[in-house]
Amino acid sequence: MTTSTTLDASAVAPRRSAARARWLAVLRTPVGAGAGLLLALVLLLALVAPLLWSGEADRIDTSDVLQGASAEHWVGTDALGRDVFARVLVATRLSIGLALAATSIAVVLGLLLGCAPLLLGRRGGRLVTAGVNIAVAFPGLLLALFFAVVFGVGMTGAVLAIGFAGAPAFARLSQTLAAGIADRDFVSAARIAGVGRFRVLVRHVLPNIGEPLVVNATIGAGGALLAFAGLSFLGLGVQAPSYDWGRLLQDGLSGIYIHPVAALAPGVAIVVAGLAFNLFGEAVAKGIGLTTALGGGFAPGRALRREETRRRAAAADQTPPATDPGPEPGRPVLDVQDLSVTFPGAAGPVRPVRGVSFRIGRGEAVGVVGESGSGKSLTALAIARLVEQPGEVTAGRLRFQGADLLSGGDRTHRRLLGTSFAMVFQDPMTSFNPTRRIGRQLAEVAQEHQGMSRRAALARAVDRLRSVRVPAAERRAHQYPHEFSGGMRQRAMIGMGLMGEPSLIVADEPTTALDVTVQRQVLDLLAAVRAEDDVALLLISHDVAVVGQVCERVLVMYAGRVVEDLPADRLRTGARHPYTRALVAAVPDMDVDLDQPLPVIPGRPVDPAHQPPGCAYAPRCPLASARCTDEDPALADDGTGWRVACWHAGEVAADRDVPGAAPVALALGERA
Amino acid sequence: MSELRFEGVSVRYGNRRRGMTAVDRVDLTVPDGAVVGLVGESGSGKSTMARAAVGLTPLSAGRILLDGQPLRHTSGPRPVQMVFQDPYSSLDPRMTIGDSVAEAVPRGMRSADRRQEVARLLELVELDPARAGAYPGQLSGGQRQRVALARALAARPQVVVADEITSALDVSIQGTVLNLVRRLQRELGTSMLFISHDLAVVRYVASEIAVMYLGRIVEHGPAAQVLGDPQHPYTRDLLAAVPGWGSAGPATAPPGVAAAEPADPHAPPPGCRYHPRCPIGPLARDDREVCRTTEPTTDHRHATACHFAAAEPLLQVTGRPA
Repeated sequence: MTTSTTLDASAVAPRRSAARARWLAVLRTPVGAGAGLLLALVLLLALVAPLLWSGEADRIDTSDVLQGASAEHWVGTDALGRDVFARVLVATRLSIGLALAATSIAVVLGLLLGCAPLLLGRRGGRLVTAGVNIAVAFPGLLLALFFAVVFGVGMTGAVLAIGFAGAPAFARLSQTLAAGIADRDFVSAARIAGVGRFRVLVRHVLPNIGEPLVVNATIGAGGALLAFAGLSFLGLGVQAPSYDWGRLLQDGLSGIYIHPVAALAPGVAIVVAGLAFNLFGEAVAKGIGLTTALGGGFAPGRALRREETRRRAAAADQTPPATDPGPEPGRPVLDVQDLSVTFPGAAGPVRPVRGVSFRIGRGEAVGVVGESGSGKSLTALAIARLVEQPGEVTAGRLRFQGADLLSGGDRTHRRLLGTSFAMVFQDPMTSFNPTRRIGRQLAEVAQEHQGMSRRAALARAVDRLRSVRVPAAERRAHQYPHEFSGGMRQRAMIGMGLMGEPSLIVADEPTTALDVTVQRQVLDLLAAVRAEDDVALLLISHDVAVVGQVCERVLVMYAGRVVEDLPADRLRTGARHPYTRALVAAVPDMDVDLDQPLPVIPGRPVDPAHQPPGCAYAPRCPLASARCTDEDPALADDGTGWRVACWHAGEVAADRDVPGAAPVALALGERA
Repeated sequence: MSELRFEGVSVRYGNRRRGMTAVDRVDLTVPDGAVVGLVGESGSGKSTMARAAVGLTPLSAGRILLDGQPLRHTSGPRPVQMVFQDPYSSLDPRMTIGDSVAEAVPRGMRSADRRQEVARLLELVELDPARAGAYPGQLSGGQRQRVALARALAARPQVVVADEITSALDVSIQGTVLNLVRRLQRELGTSMLFISHDLAVVRYVASEIAVMYLGRIVEHGPAAQVLGDPQHPYTRDLLAAVPGWGSAGPATAPPGVAAAEPADPHAPPPGCRYHPRCPIGPLARDDREVCRTTEPTTDHRHATACHFAAAEPLLQVTGRPA
C-alpha cells in the first residue's frame, strides 16, 4: 500500500473536462493569456492580410522607390516602390504557412520514427533508436543546409530541409515519451488481452503522449519560423517574386544605411511571431506540468519547505471546537491542540486536517491509524513543520518540549527540531541523497546542529549506525544509499534521527515498503531505541495490527479528525467508535474464518473538498442516525483519557438495517 | 478451466556477465480449478513468474504448459490473463472503463453484443453497468481493481494470474476485492495463481501455498498444511513475522540471524540459498555445514527444499479446494 496523502479532488472530475480545465487554466495566467492573444493575432493576420493588403503590397510605383518612413508608407518603400509595411503584413501568411508545413513534416516524421520501436520489436527498434541518436547529434542547421542543397534552392527544398532537420528531435522526444507509456501496466494488460501492437500504439500510447507533443510542436513551430527566415535571408529559401519575412529582411538589408526601418519591420515581425509560438508553448507546458501542485505538493522526502505557521483566530471557524486533551502528568513531549492544515482548492480552501488535538508524554508510544487520505501523514508533517506551500498550518497550541513552535521564525526552532526531533519516512530511498555516502549524511546532522568537527561527527555516525544494528558499521558508513537494502536504509534513517538526542521519533509508515520479516526487525529496533533512551514515538501506519503491537495508545483518524483515542490493548475488542471497530475487523489475520466473507467498510472515504456538516463517517456507518448527518460529534473524554467522537459510541449494531453494512455488523457481533 | 504447469522455468535478466536469475529452475503446477498462493519477499521472483506466465517476459529455460500444451502467445486474447498490482497504472486514464473491458472481449462480436458482454462483466464484478462510460479517475482504488478483474475475465481466460492485487488498496476495501475473488473463483471455477506477500490474504484465498525464496520454490503444499505445519525455516520465519495481536516481543533468533540482510538476488549464496539467514542452519549449529555447500532436494514433506525438513516422501498434492 502506498501512503497517498493525495487529495483525490482532481480525480473526482471527469477526465476530459479536467483536461479542458487545464488548458483553460493556462489561458488564465498572464503569460498564457498574453501569448495566446499574440498567437491568435498572428494566425488571424496570416489568414486575412493577403486578402486586404496584397493590392497595395504588389503595386509598383517607380516614382517612389526606396523612400523612408512617411505618413503614406509607414516603413517606406522598396526598390520597386512597393509599400514595405503592407508587404510585411502580407508575408505573414507565407512565413507562418511555411513554418507550419515544416513543423508538420518534422512532427509526422518524428512521430513515425519515435513510435517505430514499439511496432518493430526489439531488434528493429534498436536500429531505429540508434539511427535517431546519430541524427540528433548532428547539428540541425547544418542538416538544413545540406538538405537545401540536395533538394535544390527554393521553397520546397527549404520546407523539406527544415522539416527533416527538426524530425530527429521529435523522434527522440516521442520515443522517450512512448517508451514511458509502453512500460505502464495498462499497456501490458492490453497486450495480454490480445490487442495488436498497432492498436496499442493508436489507442493507448498516442493519446497519452499527445499533450507534451503538442506543446513541443508549438515551440518547434517558433523554431522553424526562425530557421526559415534564416534560410530565406541567405537566399536558400523563398525565391522572388514570392516573399516571406526572411526575403524582405534581405531586401531591406541592402538599404539599411539609407532607411533602416525597412529592414527592421520584417525583423520585428519574425521576433513577434517567434515569441508568440514559443511563449504559448512554454506557458502550456508550465500549466500542464503544474497540475500536480495540489496532489503531489506535500509528498515527504522532497525538498521540504517550512511554511509560516500562524496562530489561528479563535472564532470564525466552522469546525466544532476540539476538546482539550486533558491533563497529563508531567510536561508532555508534544502538545498539539486544534491543529489544522489548509490547502487552497479550486472551490475554496480544502482542509485535510481539521482540529486535531493530542499529547504525547515522555517515552510514550502513540500510534495513528486511518485510511489513506485521513490526514494522518499530513498531521505528522505539520508537527514537524514540513508542510509545503501553499499549505497552511494553524493550531491553538503546538508545543514541543515546552517550546512554542507557533511563535518565532524557523531559525529559533531549527536547532531544537534538529537535535530533539527525529522523522522517519516511508521510503528510505528518497529520504537519502543518492550521491553522498551514508556516513557523511548522518555526520552532517551533528556538524550542523551540535557544532561537531567533521571527524567527531563521522565517528558519532558510525557509533549511531552500530546502535541501530547495522552490521560492519564502519565499512557501511562509507557506502552509498543504493548499496543498502530497504531494511538497512530504514535503520540508517533511524540512526540519523538518533544523531542528536531525540525525545520524539515520528515514523510515517516506516515499514510499509518493507517485507514482513524486515518489518519485524525495524519495529523491534524502534522498540529497543525507545526503551533505551525513553524516547517518545509517534507511529503512523495504515496497519492496525502493527500499531496495536508497538504502541500504548492509538489515535484513529477519519476525514482529518481524530475520532477515537484509546489504549492499544483495547483496540481489538473494546473500541467504541464504529469506524475503529470496522477498521480493526477489516484486517485479515491468520485466524480469520475462511467460510465467512471478509468484513469490509462500505462506501469510500469522504472527499476533503466536500466535508458533510455532520459526522464524516455517517454515510458509511451502521449506527448512523439523523443526528449524525446533522451534527458533528465532538471528541469527548470519558475521564480516563479515552476520547471518542461519536453520538453512538459503544453501541453495537445489532438490528439496524443499513444496506451494505451487514458484513461489518456481522463480524462485530462475532468478535465482541 | 485448465491446469497451468511451470516446468524447469528460469528467467534471467541482463546479459551473461552482468545479470540476475530472477526465477531459477522452478517447477510449479496450478491444478485445474485450484488457487495456488505464491508468497515470498520482494525480489524473490514472484512477479517474474506472473509475467512469464502471461508472456510478458521471455523464458531463458524450461517451458510453461497449459493442459499439457506449451503456451503460445499468438494474436488474440491470451489464455492466461493477469490482474496487476497497481490499479492506478493498469487502466488507461484516457479510456472509459467500458472501453478498457471491451478491448479484452474476443473479437468477431457485434458491437451490441460486445456492449452487453461488458455490462455482464461489470455486473459480475459488482459494478453498476451504467458506469461503463466512467473514466478510471472517477473510481476508487477498489473499484478500479474490480474493473481490472472484469477485463481479465473478458478474455475468457483458462487461468488468471493475480499479482499482489490488494497491496495497493486500503485495508478497508481490500476485503471487497478478496471477497469478490473468492466468489468468482467458486462460481467460475477459475484456476488461479494468486501472488501476495501477505500470508493472511493468501490464506484466505488460496487452496495451496507455494513459498518462494530467491528465485526458488522452497515449500509447496495444501494451504492448511503449509500454514499449520510449516517445514521450511523460511516459511516459519514468514509466519512468525506476520503482525498479529499479542504476539509482540523481540524475536529470539540467534545472533547473526536477527541482523542478517536479505540476500542479493544478483549473487545468490551457494548451497541452500537461505543458509545466511537460517535460524536452524550453519549460523546456529556448527555441524550443519552441508547447507553452505549442497543445494537441498525437495523430497520432503510439502516438497520442502531443506536438508533438515521432515524426511517424508513428497505428498500427493490433490489441488482441489478444501
